[in-house]
Amino acid sequence: MLSFYLYLGTAVLLVGIGGLGLWRGPELLRRILALNVIGAGIFMLMVTLAYRPVMQGEPADSVLHALVLTGLVVAVSATAFALALLGRLLTRAD
Amino acid sequence: MQAWLLDYLPLLIVLSSLLPGLLIFTLKEQQVALRTFLNLLGVTLKLVLVFLMWQGVKEGESYYYRIAFLPGADLILQADALSLLFVVLSSVLWLATTIYAIGYLEHSPLRSRFFGYFSLCVSATVGLALAGNLVTFLLFYELLTLATFPLVVHRGTPQSLAAGRRYLAYTLSGGLLLMLGVSLLHLLAGSPDFTPGGYLAPLLASGSILLQVAFALLIAGLGVKAALFPLHGWLPQAMVAPAPVSALLHAVAVVKAGAFGIVRVVYDVFGVEVVRALDLAWPLLFLAAFTILFGSWRALAQQDLKKRLAYSTISQVSYITLGVALLGPLAAVGALVHLVHQGVMKITLFFCAGNYAETLGIHKIRELNGVGRQMPMTSLAFTIGALGMIGIPPAAGFISKWYLGLGAAEVAQPWVILVFVLSGLLNACYFLPVVYRIWFGVQYSAWPSPQRLSSRFETHWMLLAPSMFTLGLILLMGLFASTELSPLSWSELIVEREFSFDD
Amino acid sequence: MFPALLLVTLPLSAALLMLLWPRFARSLHVTVALLSVPLAGYFLQQILLHGEQQWLLGGWSPLLAIRWQADSLSALLLLLSALLHLLVSGYALAVQARDRLPAAFWPLSSLLLASLQALWLARDLFNWYVCLELLGMVAVALVTLSGDKALKPALNYLLFSLFASLCYLLGVALLYAGYGALDLPLLAGQLEANRLNAMALLLITLGLMLKAACWPLHIWLPAAHAAAPAAVSALLSALVVKGPLFILYLVWTELAPQAFWLPASYLFALAALGALLFGGIAALRTPYGKSLVAYSTVAQLGYATLALAFVLRFNLPEFVAALWLFVLAHALAKAASFLAMGELQQTLGSKQVSALKGASQTMPLAMFAFAVAGGSLIGLPPSGGFLAKWALLLGLWQSQQYFWLLVLAVATLLAAAYVFRVVVLAFDRAEPTAPDFAPQRLPQYLALLPALAVWAMALFSMPLLTLLKQEL
Repeated sequence: MLSFYLYLGTAVLLVGIGGLGLWRGPELLRRILALNVIGAGIFMLMVTLAYRPVMQGEPADSVLHALVLTGLVVAVSATAFALALLGRLLTRAD
Repeated sequence: MQAWLLDYLPLLIVLSSLLPGLLIFTLKEQQVALRTFLNLLGVTLKLVLVFLMWQGVKEGESYYYRIAFLPGADLILQADALSLLFVVLSSVLWLATTIYAIGYLEHSPLRSRFFGYFSLCVSATVGLALAGNLVTFLLFYELLTLATFPLVVHRGTPQSLAAGRRYLAYTLSGGLLLMLGVSLLHLLAGSPDFTPGGYLAPLLASGSILLQVAFALLIAGLGVKAALFPLHGWLPQAMVAPAPVSALLHAVAVVKAGAFGIVRVVYDVFGVEVVRALDLAWPLLFLAAFTILFGSWRALAQQDLKKRLAYSTISQVSYITLGVALLGPLAAVGALVHLVHQGVMKITLFFCAGNYAETLGIHKIRELNGVGRQMPMTSLAFTIGALGMIGIPPAAGFISKWYLGLGAAEVAQPWVILVFVLSGLLNACYFLPVVYRIWFGVQYSAWPSPQRLSSRFETHWMLLAPSMFTLGLILLMGLFASTELSPLSWSELIVEREFSFDD
Repeated sequence: MFPALLLVTLPLSAALLMLLWPRFARSLHVTVALLSVPLAGYFLQQILLHGEQQWLLGGWSPLLAIRWQADSLSALLLLLSALLHLLVSGYALAVQARDRLPAAFWPLSSLLLASLQALWLARDLFNWYVCLELLGMVAVALVTLSGDKALKPALNYLLFSLFASLCYLLGVALLYAGYGALDLPLLAGQLEANRLNAMALLLITLGLMLKAACWPLHIWLPAAHAAAPAAVSALLSALVVKGPLFILYLVWTELAPQAFWLPASYLFALAALGALLFGGIAALRTPYGKSLVAYSTVAQLGYATLALAFVLRFNLPEFVAALWLFVLAHALAKAASFLAMGELQQTLGSKQVSALKGASQTMPLAMFAFAVAGGSLIGLPPSGGFLAKWALLLGLWQSQQYFWLLVLAVATLLAAAYVFRVVVLAFDRAEPTAPDFAPQRLPQYLALLPALAVWAMALFSMPLLTLLKQEL
């Protein structure tokens, strides 16, 4: 059970770090990264929540796993899109 | 006339100016003949239709047209004696103003836009007159604002744009107050048709505060257009509009819409009994009395002819409100007949002011010295109109003021008669010197910018004819007030119908 | 089932095909836009005939499957989206050569339509997340189509949108942890009023309010909507911000425990107050034409938020009706005003409001469209905006919210002020135009179309209210 809370705490911590980074800014790249850290925290939270105690013989919640996978795909494409935009913005600024 | 067509008569009367107006928008600037044709077609059609309706209403027929609109509040166009009074007034004066405007705006730019909105403005006025319930009234009241605004700013000068902004600020706020009031009443009592004697009496038992709030909101909303003090600020500034617009605004469309609305609200929504029971008439009475004196007082100080006429309008329109607020049948006759008489007299005065400005470039009162010899016909019309405004027989104004005075005596408010006398004196003070200058003043400099508009008449015939026409109306209405055709008899008919419920 | 599925898959697959065969992108796009409208109309008719319908996609059990559900409101929104999409497509076709609209517009706007239609149909918290994310990214991509100057606002929009999605996702994860379901009807009525749920709902609300540009979370909107090409701005303001609002409404009325309704209503009312006042003031002050229209969107969304606040507080049918009538009227009016403003700016060659001097003479049609649409934004009768305001007024009188009546009055005057700020300028004397000045007529007519539609709306108040299942 301890490890459950450890994971949970880490997830919360990640969301917090990401939120702080997003808030502080101001560089756009930093904000994009911060969003990714928040995303990682949320996905970790979801994975942790999918945990079921082994003794009861239940498998972990596969719906949450599926959601995390979907979320990862969305997050990766969103990050790629944001970076591409940032790249265009920076080349133009030069 | 086919029976099914009669059902659509109220709608047709609105459409007879609306459709030509919309068509005119699409015309090119150079298509003068077609535009004039469409204008006159609309006017003629409307007059014919109104005549048919008048015949019907006189014989006690009712016209009723309904389209689904808001839930519980359809759009209703109907004709009763009161709406017909206003419809006839606006259609007849529209005829005069259209001819005048065609002459006045000859060779000026953007005429398609002007005549388009001009027609929309009359459609909105007529719709407002025919409105059968408060929601329909509100609709046309707002449309009237939208249709008149482009006319006020027509010249596109900085002053006219400033006047337009101010006009909008006042009238849109007024419309908003009216909308708040209408929605409150809709919640309290629904939106039934206008009923002689009002429809709110059953609500008296269940509390009066909300009814008073609704009354205040409605009167404030209508008071903006009726230029009740302190909501009159837009009117003198709106003078920058072209003369036919000022004429229409002052005589028929805007200020009369407000006054007509007050008549409707007091007689057909609240009803005299409810107004009396809620003590609502007093504030209105005082406000109207004050506005009468205030407008006359301010008019004295104006050196610009159109400005002086504008303040005079503020004063004169409040006679109507005052007559309504007195809550007696004779005062009501006076108020209604003044609605017509003031319209005809004021439009004559504005036509004349426009004639002076167009023909000789006269705007200031001191420039009028000796103009009577140069433009005798126009000056005659102006003189009769001014005398009528003061209330000197045989012009029409005498009749309405006489009845208003009788009405005040009837409900035992002698101080109101004092207000009339005082205002009459002030009227004389600001009109008689003008008349004196016209006929007996010595011209001390050349006319500001004389133009030769006609070889046979003193000015363009399209400017002269409408003023002669309305001059004739003033005299006819004054001399033949007791005949069956006169506005006076018609007002008595309305009042008979409005007040018959409490006999 | 079949028409609903087609409404989503048709634009989706068309968008993918457009990427494969860019040469046919335009014709494919137009075909889909043309097909979507009768399809949505047919679907609405089916819903009216047979009542509410729902499907579990793939035939899975409710716990696993994605639920689609369509009531008359969804069907109405589907039809509205299809119609406006068709209109904007027509506009884009008419101006693409002149405005050098990139070819990417065609697949992207099809994708936008697909994600919106899916959003109106879905009743599943996670499916909504995917729709929102897709909608957000496509919207950002569309904003960038107007070139380099739009990059900064677009990136800003993207960051806000991503953050909002993450907030929403976190909230959904917390709810799932408690109840093990994502399906709206399964969750409905289950939620207790505990702290975890409060947290989850707050996160979801925050995310959705950010995406719906509710004040004070609207700061990304004016720049993004003003920078986008006119056709895109019209889509974004008319439709895209309404998606999250729709979810917000369903989450609060169906999911949230009643104990939370009152505090939430205060939150929404506060947001509405800020939006109505500050949005209106900002629209009054901005020097740029399209920013004015964009701030007007912020202000107008305040009406919808206000209606939502009072739905939660008083449960009167007037407020529900007002909410959706505002959404419909604003969608039409805003599409018209953005297209008209875009047309004016493009033809007159300046972004400044002051460049519109004399526009009633140089470009009467577009100016007329703007003014007519503005009339609905102000709420003048007989426009759709008036109908919505009428419903709101009746509700406010009935629940004796006199303060809010005052707010509504001030907001109306502000709207009148910013609309007529443009209109009065347009009645100024026009500068002489260049001899080659030849405004295109078709795009102006297209801008006029929704403006006229919104004025006709009030004449169909009864059928509309029947569709919304509300009575006044």
